[in-house]
Formats: sequence, C-alpha cells, structure tokens
Amino acid sequence: MATGKYVSDLDVGDKIGPVEYTMSAFVVREYSHANELHHEFLQGIDNPIAPPTLVHLDKLRLYRHGCPLGTGPSARIHYEYDATIHAEVPVGEKLSVSGEVIERYQKKGRDYVVMTIDLRRASDGKLLIAYRDTAILAYRGADSAAA
Amino acid sequence: MTTTLQIGSELRSAPRPMTRERMRWYVDAQPTVAHDDGRIHTQDPTIHDDDDYARKQGLPGIISDGMISTNWIMGLLFDTFGRAVAGKGRLRTKYIAPIYEDQIVISVARVTAATQTPEGETAYQFDVWCEDDTGKKLTVGEALVYAPAR
Repeated sequence: MATGKYVSDLDVGDKIGPVEYTMSAFVVREYSHANELHHEFLQGIDNPIAPPTLVHLDKLRLYRHGCPLGTGPSARIHYEYDATIHAEVPVGEKLSVSGEVIERYQKKGRDYVVMTIDLRRASDGKLLIAYRDTAILAYRGADSAAA
Repeated sequence: MTTTLQIGSELRSAPRPMTRERMRWYVDAQPTVAHDDGRIHTQDPTIHDDDDYARKQGLPGIISDGMISTNWIMGLLFDTFGRAVAGKGRLRTKYIAPIYEDQIVISVARVTAATQTPEGETAYQFDVWCEDDTGKKLTVGEALVYAPAR
C-alpha cells in the first residue's frame, strides 16, 4: 500500500477513494472553455452536461486525496486516455469517484502506471464513465512518447 | 443531430497552432476545477507552461498536455454528432509524439466500421488522430460513437 505519500510511489493494488463531489456549471464551463469546446450543451445555461474528458481531472482529484505529498521527484506525464461513456454527467449531479492502480511496469527506463477510475452517480452507484489512465511517473526527455 | 457517414469517410478539423496560451489555458483549468470557487487559480511551473522547468526535465521547451489533443478530437466528434457523444461511446487516445509550441495540429476521425444497433442507432467506429501540417501523427486512438436514429 503506497497511498498517503507521493504519486510516484503508487503501486498495483492501491485503491483511492471513493471521493464525492457535485459537478458544477462553473467547472464544466471553465474546462470546456479551456479546451475550446464551445457547444451549447456544455456552456449553455439550460441543463448543461460535462464533457466526458473531464473525467481525467478526477485522476488528479484522487491523487490529491491519496497522495497528499505530491507528484514526486520528476514530472509526471500523461501517456494514454481511455474512457468508456455509459451515461451523461449532468451539472448538479452528486458524484462518487474511485480509483485503483492495476498495473505498474518499466519500459525503456520509465515507470508506467495504469489506473482504472470509476465515475458513478452517488445516489445509486450507477456507472457513468469507466476510465483507464496510463501515466509515465518518472519522465525524462522528449525522445519518444510525450504529451 | 443526424449524420450519415461511410466506411472511409473522414472528419477533419481546421488547423490550429498549439500556442503558449492554449497550453496555459489547460494548465490553469486544472487548479481552477479543483478549487471550484468561481475564480481562476494557477499552479506551480509545469512542462506545459514554463520553459526553464521543461528544460530541467530534459525537454527543449514547453510541450502541450495530451488532454488538449484528446479534447480537440472530442470536439470534432461533438461538432459532427452533438451531445449524443457525451452519453454513450468510447474514446481512446495515446500520445505518441510531443506537441511543441506553435506546432500546427489537425484533428482527424476516419470511419472504420458502421453498424446498426437494435435501438436504431448507428454505431460508428473511428480511427482518430491528431497530425501536424506535414502529416506526422502526434496522437492516435479510436472512438466509438452512437449516432441517434433519424
């Protein structure tokens, strides 16, 4: 169990959460605006929904919750985003997010960590988005994958 | 919103330069979302907004956060299919090359399969990617989009 320390300490089997929060219109508009997603169903005022990609920031929410000491010695870098969408995430919905580290491996001297994240409706546990995130924990250099 | 596409049909965005400002918008969005208090928040230097910090990490300068290209691909699907994309489907993206300041980025989605569901939707499989203005792929992946029945 490597939670409670740095993100770079995370290891297979580590579980973080659940963490509950309510999706706000401010968050949706801010994130959508930052990514130039100027669509009415995201930035309008009547019953907006969240862009599914916002689930990626739930990983950072879980990191803050489970790894309060921060990233670790080197920059962390995102390698792969993989989200299956099961239902819309409406503004105003109370949500519950939890994560589990399912894989950690080395490749070309870099540490990769794969984390699955479930975003659920808090009221009944309905799965809204299932997210699988792959990150490089100790990133050095730009000679190959980088983002 | 209804759309009919054939296998091999390609959706392409307009070219966009990955400016310093676009990178910083995403950097600032992260703590702003985390605080969720109606105000803009910033964060400590990152490889996406601070050249000196990026160079200390072995990079020649700032590079974009991969989620920007993921969101630009998502935006291309939103432009074509509307909010249906946000209620059912899948998007996978892998960041295979860094995107540097002012590099031109074009988002592309190419239909690889189209099937009818029992509910009357059309399930489109796409290869998706972002490329630069030389055609070099920077981000690659797949998407599954359910277009509602007409």
